[in-house]
Amino acid sequence: MAFAIEFFLRRISQGLVIVLLVAFVIFTLLRIVPGDPIRIILGPMTPASVLEQTAKDLGLRDPILVQFGRFVGQVATGDLGRSFIRGLQGGSAGGSQDAAGYNPESRASVAELIGTALPYSLQLAGLGILFALLVAVPIGMAAGLRAGKWPDRLGLYVSSLFVSLPNIWVAVVLIFLLSAKADLLPAIGYRGFSYTIIPAMVVAIELSPVMIRAISVSVAANLGEIYYDVGMVRGLSRWTMIFKHVLRNAAVPLLNLFGAQMIGMLLGGLFVVEYIFSYPGVGMLTINAVFQRDFPIIQAVAILASGALVAINMLVDFTSTTIDRRLKF
Amino acid sequence: MAPQSMSKPGSPLMEVRDLSVAMRSESGVRPILNTIDLTVMPRSVLGIIGESGSGKTVLSRALVNWIKPPLAITSGSVRYGGRDLLALPEEEMAALRGREIAYIGANPTSALDPTVPVGHQILEKLRAVAPQLSRQDARKRIIDTLDAVRIPSPAKRFDEYPFQFSGGMMQRALIVDALVSNPKLLIADNITQPLDVTVAAQILRLLRDLQKDFDTAVVFISSALGIVSEIADDMIVLDRGHIVERQPVNALLEKPEHGYTRELIAKVPKIWTGAAEPPAPSAQNVVLDVRDVEKTYEVRDRNAIFAHRKVQAVRGVSFTVRRGENFGIIGESGCGKSTLSRLLSCLEAPNRGQILFEDRDIATLRGKDLLALRRRFQLLLQDPYNAIAAHSSIGRTIAEPLLIHGLVPRREIRKRVSAVMSEVGLSPSLYDQLPVGLSAGQRQRVNIARALVLEPELLILDETLSALDQVEQAKLLDLFETLQARRGITYVYISHDLAMVRRVCARIAVMYLGRVVELSDNETLFASSSHPYTRALLSAVPTVEEKPYKTETYLLEGEPPDPIDIPPGCSFRTRCPFAFDRCAREDPRLTLLSDGSLSACHLEGSGLPAVDIAGLQPVATVAQTRPVAP
Ligand SMILES: Nc1ncnc2c1ncn2[C@@H]1O[C@H](COP(=O)(O)OP(=O)(O)O)[C@@H](O)[C@H]1O
Ligand code: SF4
Ligand SMILES: [Mg+2]
Repeated sequence: MAFAIEFFLRRISQGLVIVLLVAFVIFTLLRIVPGDPIRIILGPMTPASVLEQTAKDLGLRDPILVQFGRFVGQVATGDLGRSFIRGLQGGSAGGSQDAAGYNPESRASVAELIGTALPYSLQLAGLGILFALLVAVPIGMAAGLRAGKWPDRLGLYVSSLFVSLPNIWVAVVLIFLLSAKADLLPAIGYRGFSYTIIPAMVVAIELSPVMIRAISVSVAANLGEIYYDVGMVRGLSRWTMIFKHVLRNAAVPLLNLFGAQMIGMLLGGLFVVEYIFSYPGVGMLTINAVFQRDFPIIQAVAILASGALVAINMLVDFTSTTIDRRLKF
Repeated sequence: MAPQSMSKPGSPLMEVRDLSVAMRSESGVRPILNTIDLTVMPRSVLGIIGESGSGKTVLSRALVNWIKPPLAITSGSVRYGGRDLLALPEEEMAALRGREIAYIGANPTSALDPTVPVGHQILEKLRAVAPQLSRQDARKRIIDTLDAVRIPSPAKRFDEYPFQFSGGMMQRALIVDALVSNPKLLIADNITQPLDVTVAAQILRLLRDLQKDFDTAVVFISSALGIVSEIADDMIVLDRGHIVERQPVNALLEKPEHGYTRELIAKVPKIWTGAAEPPAPSAQNVVLDVRDVEKTYEVRDRNAIFAHRKVQAVRGVSFTVRRGENFGIIGESGCGKSTLSRLLSCLEAPNRGQILFEDRDIATLRGKDLLALRRRFQLLLQDPYNAIAAHSSIGRTIAEPLLIHGLVPRREIRKRVSAVMSEVGLSPSLYDQLPVGLSAGQRQRVNIARALVLEPELLILDETLSALDQVEQAKLLDLFETLQARRGITYVYISHDLAMVRRVCARIAVMYLGRVVELSDNETLFASSSHPYTRALLSAVPTVEEKPYKTETYLLEGEPPDPIDIPPGCSFRTRCPFAFDRCAREDPRLTLLSDGSLSACHLEGSGLPAVDIAGLQPVATVAQTRPVAP
């Protein structure tokens, strides 16, 4: 108990520092790229004097550190700022409707935009991981249990195949087969849970090769450990050893892999897949924001992503040390 | 071969007939065991002795039908309870394992799942073997048995993890695991090998008692004759896969029939009777002067928030080593030997105290001076495997320190390295080869060569020879001696192997819980030690000769306390058979005694039993070393 409290206190404080640093870097980067945000907000037709005045009013001419301080203060109260582009109804407010003067209240709040999109992304990510596990656990275990035999080779073939397939291609083929041809599942947009299934399959195909390798390697490594053989000589059955001990030990490297590598793949995968399928998640929101140079959204998503990364790694490490007490963090 | 002499009547528990095991590989079939015949009687202890590589482990595994490729059983039978175990279907064999036949191996620390508490794993096994037992009853039975093998606070230990157990504690837990289901036969392969002599002696005594209480027959396998002879009734001698002799243990020690057995007996190092004259202390100048060094580590405390606990690994150690001298440091594992070696070799800095090398404090040296000094003393570690990079050639590995220090022009490197290689007995033709396929002894020679190219003046050997068998060890000790004669090197041997220290060291420091408790010359220490701890160590050495320090008088219980909470007063008092009330109040300081030795004990040598070296027997029979059970 004391360990858990200390662990989380320490890791949360470290995590906050990391997220703050990431936020600062992104904040600065977005303000030094060419292009004045105020032109994006007000549109190209706005007279220069209005631009300058609005920029001053919005604080966009203050030194970056001052702006960043103000931003952090807002974030701390849960306010992630307002979109440059999107109106309250979510649609783009492009053009120069604000040419005469800019009213920030007319733009959608970033927190709300993300809040609406996030559940969709979580649903897609969750289902994608579930599918990936359904594929990777049986194949990876079979490969690990029969290292060097045909299941091992099957695991290798399946993962090499999956690795070599581009997302886009898989998506197109699945849409063609399952949606256009067989009419089993809907594919584009979102009008119900079934719209998540094909995108989740694409995410799963992206994740599963790494999982298959990780599971088979760590299962095989554990079968080579002395405790496994000794367990059977001590009088335990092979299946007890596999299900109670080998899987438990194999989970630790798998968790670490998840924290270190797969979470990045998952985030990247979500962006692409959501965009392909016009799936209304955070990824789609972000990609549109990038095209429209909607900086508040980009920076909020980047900060959230780094926060998620930090939080997931914290949970992964905590679970790992709970499983294997030798690990220290 | 004739059936072995039987020390007890009755029908045999296990009969092995004509057992052969071979290794199949691409290059053909290599026999490992040849036509082995042996019989295990109920409630008896059968000892099997042989050098490393003679096939003991393979034999012990064949007895439980646990032979895996590339090894294969090529002929024979292992009859148990009217059935041939080798012909038994896998499920029926599995039903016998852990129930009727238990097995304990040499590697206690990796025998259990590292992520599950020890007690829970024993419980899992007991419930698998005896499903009728309720969880509570099983748990209670295990805790009782843990208590019986003298694991302190067994109920708490039940929930602790394997890494929290020391090697000795773990071996005890595995004995519990084996015996808790009341097997008829226990096969113990080299179970004392990784343990300190003190702990090994405790385990032996324990196994002997339990074997009687549980009515279990034991097959006890070891490469140390001194250990097997302490426990076995009958003995079998294994030489390169053949049984060359079988006799009751007394007869085997007194009248060995086979030449190989005589050789084995002769190879057991002699400590008191007929030991070679130990080297004399040196009178040259002091090379290494260690003054009151102290090292404390902080470890995180899992049970309190932001709290650390201090591990006092070395607590004020002082000694001097003179040029050309062999200095020994001995003690049980965990007493601070390796920390001290890291301090001596500048890998870590002490929290307090000074280490002077030729009158210069090594802690004050920086940069160039430090590098120059590092060159002149070298540390050699125990593990010859991890220290050598697998992907660079042997010559390149040995040359590396020369390159780092930039001492020799590049074109002369090969010459220098080849010269050192032949000096340590490695053929210079190995220069361009990769280290794969080198034996442990050869690897250790590569390490030694790598240290020697720098022409050091002081070598610190931290358990350098512990992983090698006796023959290889003897060769390397000879090599060290030659090097000393030729180059005047000073050695600090850090070891738990008392027989080796007896042979090579002129002066010896005994460490306990981070302190030197006794420091004296070789002869005085072995013949008339004035510290109870040293005597306890000496009483536990496995030998075949009669010991001047009787195990019954000095045997230690348990293991050194945690260096985290060191009790006030004499730190040895929790285990000292001679402790009296002053010991709890006052910490004894190292004091110079009349025989020239330094000892940290309030008794100052005077309250300890007298020692009679002259009247010892060169070969002790079992009746003398072991009290006969009533
Ligand atoms: N799994 C294995 N694969 C190949 N050779 C082995 C294996 N196990 C043992 N051997 C060989 O069998 C011989 C006897 O080994 P072992 O029984 O371990 O000897 P001991 O226990 O007496 O030291 C050695 O030559 C060793 O190299
Ligand atoms: S001081 Fe006391 S407890 Fe310590 S070794 Fe001497 S007799 Fe034993
Ligand atoms: Mg062995």
